Amino acid sequence: MAENLWELREQKRISVATVANRSGLPIGLIMEYESGLRSIDPRHLTRLARALYVEEEDIRLQSEPRPGAPPLERRDHVVHKVEQPIDRPAPPAPKPRERTPRPPQAQAQPSLPPRPSQLAHLDALLQRLEQTQAALEAELGKPVASLDRAALSSVLKLLQDQAKAKLPATRHRAYLPESVDEYEARYLGAAHASGEPLRFSLFDGSMIEGSVLGFGPYIVTVQLADGSELTLNKLALVSYRRLPAQDSTKEPRP
Amino acid sequence: MSLGDYLRLLRAQRGGVTPWEIEAATPLSKGLYRQMEQRYKSVGDEEAIRILAAYFNVPEEQLRWRTKWPRKALSKALVWSARSGEPISLELWNGATVTGIVRWWDLGAAAVELPEGGLEVVQRHAVQRWDPPAPDDDVKA
Repeated sequence: MAENLWELREQKRISVATVANRSGLPIGLIMEYESGLRSIDPRHLTRLARALYVEEEDIRLQSEPRPGAPPLERRDHVVHKVEQPIDRPAPPAPKPRERTPRPPQAQAQPSLPPRPSQLAHLDALLQRLEQTQAALEAELGKPVASLDRAALSSVLKLLQDQAKAKLPATRHRAYLPESVDEYEARYLGAAHASGEPLRFSLFDGSMIEGSVLGFGPYIVTVQLADGSELTLNKLALVSYRRLPAQDSTKEPRP
Repeated sequence: MSLGDYLRLLRAQRGGVTPWEIEAATPLSKGLYRQMEQRYKSVGDEEAIRILAAYFNVPEEQLRWRTKWPRKALSKALVWSARSGEPISLELWNGATVTGIVRWWDLGAAAVELPEGGLEVVQRHAVQRWDPPAPDDDVKA
């Protein structure tokens, strides 16, 4: 049985502004529909039904005013006629606009079942919003299983907006050991802090010993025994380690 | 050293010729060379190996065997050693072999704890081969 627009809206516990936002109709117009001042334009019925998650036939076209509510004045666009000054000639009458005939409206798409990806996305969104499907169905007033593809798409869009508003804007990068170069940096940082020398084996077969003065993603700068500095390209390195004479329990730990 | 690392080395030895110049000078399809050099999994077929071996003037086998030792397979082997606590042997570019348990690894290096104590930090690009491979190793994955 069809119900008044305001009753349906209050059952869903949503504001007029929300209905206006979802349906794309002016707030004033919705208030006029709710007060019964206007009967609902059939062209707006689908949009209102979608905004309220109900079927079109659930909405009464001419709402009965809410009991006790003050009467709402209809705000028609009034054109005030201004008398023409006597000394000014009247402007020429505007030419009647030629209207191009509207193309025939496309046939309504047949109702399609939701895609599996939509249902999976719904689950993910509900988890992010810490909301249960039962709560969503209570808000919708119908089970999710009864929604068709288009209706579920609208619901997903609304949930996505809510998720965007709720979750912080900053995104954290996934931690992948292979995507970062941090363990070696920590090791070299510890070696730099301790000042203990390392022995580097190079591709050309040579060995270099020195304490780490600094390092970057591609280089290591060491101080040699004679006090001079040498910057090694990591591509020229095969491996390195602390000098064997030192206490292995003090190995730099990343 | 994986095929990608080796190609980069060959490119450096050729005076830093760019991947785009290589693609322009060879009949390789667009983007294939960069994929072969940069991807962690093994990319490239026999035809690509033949073309690149001719371009760099190296034996085809020098490139071919490396396709079976990509960086991704090394990562899997390092992870396996670190998780299982089993030793791994890394055969290095300079002919040395480092054997021990992997304590940490990242994009550039891996630390192997030696039997006699202490860590040897090995640059990943210096690793030629390793043993054992990870049990679930699938180099084409």
